[in-house]
Amino acid sequence: MKNWIKGVAPTRRGFLKGSAGALALGSGVNLFNINHAFSQDVVYDGTVFDAGGATLRIAEWGGFWEEIIRKELLDQFEKDFNCKIAYESSFPWFPKFVAGGPQKPPFAVVNWNYGEMFKTAAAGDFFVPLDEVLANLPNAKLIWPFATENGVGVTWSYSRYCYAYRIDLVDPKPADFKTFWEEKFAGKRGTYITSNGLQMDFFIAACKLFGKDQYDLEAGYEAMRKAMPMKISDFTGNMQALLERGEVELAVQHDAEVYQQMDKGVKVAPMLWEEVKPILTQTKTVSRYIEPTEKKLAYALINRTLETKLQSVMGSTFYQRPVNRDVVITENLASKGVTNTADAIAGYWTPDWKSYNEHEEDIVETVNGIFAG
Amino acid sequence: MRDESPIPLVFKVVAGLALLVLLLPLAIVVLAGLNAGDYLTFPPQGLSLRWVKAFLSSPVFLSAYFYSFLLALAATAISTVIGTLAALYLARSGSRAAAFLRGYFMLPIVLPGVVLGLSLYVFFTTTDIGLARTFTGLLICHVLVTSPFVIATVTASLVGFDVSLEEAARSLGASPWTAFRKVTLRIIAPGISAGCIFAFIVSFGQFETTLFLSVPNREPLPMAMYISLRYKFEPTAAAAGIFAIALVVISTIITSRLVSLRRVFRA
Repeated sequence: MKNWIKGVAPTRRGFLKGSAGALALGSGVNLFNINHAFSQDVVYDGTVFDAGGATLRIAEWGGFWEEIIRKELLDQFEKDFNCKIAYESSFPWFPKFVAGGPQKPPFAVVNWNYGEMFKTAAAGDFFVPLDEVLANLPNAKLIWPFATENGVGVTWSYSRYCYAYRIDLVDPKPADFKTFWEEKFAGKRGTYITSNGLQMDFFIAACKLFGKDQYDLEAGYEAMRKAMPMKISDFTGNMQALLERGEVELAVQHDAEVYQQMDKGVKVAPMLWEEVKPILTQTKTVSRYIEPTEKKLAYALINRTLETKLQSVMGSTFYQRPVNRDVVITENLASKGVTNTADAIAGYWTPDWKSYNEHEEDIVETVNGIFAG
Repeated sequence: MRDESPIPLVFKVVAGLALLVLLLPLAIVVLAGLNAGDYLTFPPQGLSLRWVKAFLSSPVFLSAYFYSFLLALAATAISTVIGTLAALYLARSGSRAAAFLRGYFMLPIVLPGVVLGLSLYVFFTTTDIGLARTFTGLLICHVLVTSPFVIATVTASLVGFDVSLEEAARSLGASPWTAFRKVTLRIIAPGISAGCIFAFIVSFGQFETTLFLSVPNREPLPMAMYISLRYKFEPTAAAAGIFAIALVVISTIITSRLVSLRRVFRA
């Protein structure tokens, strides 16, 4: 103990350093940033710059999605900015962020659906505050306000939650959200396992529409019980197969997948929920503690995703809706009645994912029990 | 004239059923890969080579296939050497440490793959040793998972091994290395060969650990198949499964032939 006291015997230099540190702490300054390259201001003005061969680490969906994103966005981006893209598609991202902590993010730019993005945001200081991101995205002024209302990331593409139903087997067509619970659909309706984002959203919507509000979990549990028996699928692709074979006549879906099936000749149509209008978003975040060049590249990449060109490609290839107000809806979506107007985007609803994540353990356990019969 | 005692009918029936249960999933994968429909379903909606062609023309699947092959090859080579050395130590050492190590070496296959993958990822990240999401990091993980199989099979082949054979070679003037190479290695070759096959199969199909340790811009085949099923649910994943099965079968045949050849030479 004596030695320790001796070791910190007061000196003028030590006193000044200590005072500065205490002042910094008192004023809420993160000491990690002091004199660190990460604390340097990064400003991106929308122009192309030479990144000197730097690497930009991104995480986004794989498979055909990756093929299109590389072809339509990343290949040219690498050439324009003289950089390399390290693309990772091994979802999930959340454990990889949490394992390293905020100061060692595994990726600079990540594409999320809401649920896991909010979970990660709640777990630590991982992301650049949205205001700061938007200040560095010249194209942000072109997007609808709902695209940034989540407060964490920039939504650049989306689809609407809906039911998919077989037009040749379901008559009359579903009228509303609660049609799903009609007796005639027993054993012929479908949803997903609890780890699937569509089931999460469906559950929260059921809480809201069958209960007092979206926090009424008991109402959601009761709705799930009453919906049994139903087919439980892992992925939307599997559900598409069940619908095509007629094993499921009415299923939770998002409209992009329904439109794809329609254009393949499958006898399905969407019934868009109108009582609540949740959307399945593609939302990008920028990690906070990354080197300045990579951060600037991150802003440049997101800025480019908001351009009309890529947004149109997402529409024509994946039937995704645009967030850029200037995008002319592609024919494949326009023929289904999709528009990109202020009226069309009015009333989009974002569930309280923070609350869901806080109760996730209970929800998963209870709903799994219900699904298991 | 046969000396073997007759096998009771009930044993034959049970063995036949077991064989059927083992082979049925393989048949389903093959048929699903030859499906003419748009989705991975069973029974198939007609037979076609559509998805086999899609696999052969897919840059994602093909690169994943060869990447997995190289990864499995490297993991097998390393784990075969490490596993054989470890097995020799375990078989010949009478120390208490050997008994402890016998269990310790098996830990990677006792632990759930997800736990092992996540633990390694956390270790690589927090220690900042530059292995997180690199090929070397992934290879280390595959070696960890595959080595126990080599250790187990080589240890089994060393049971009852007569050390006096090696001692006889030494007494006739052979160096330790020559005695090991010409006597011990030849006797335990079938065990090493079996370990090799197990190691290759386990590494080639490794999914859980890869989920956390995969390398950017590079997907091993199991990841590519999972991603394909997750987003498109197309039979291309099953078509990839056909080629994966073919590769494993061919590797097994080649390995067993090599061991047989060695026996021929020895004779």
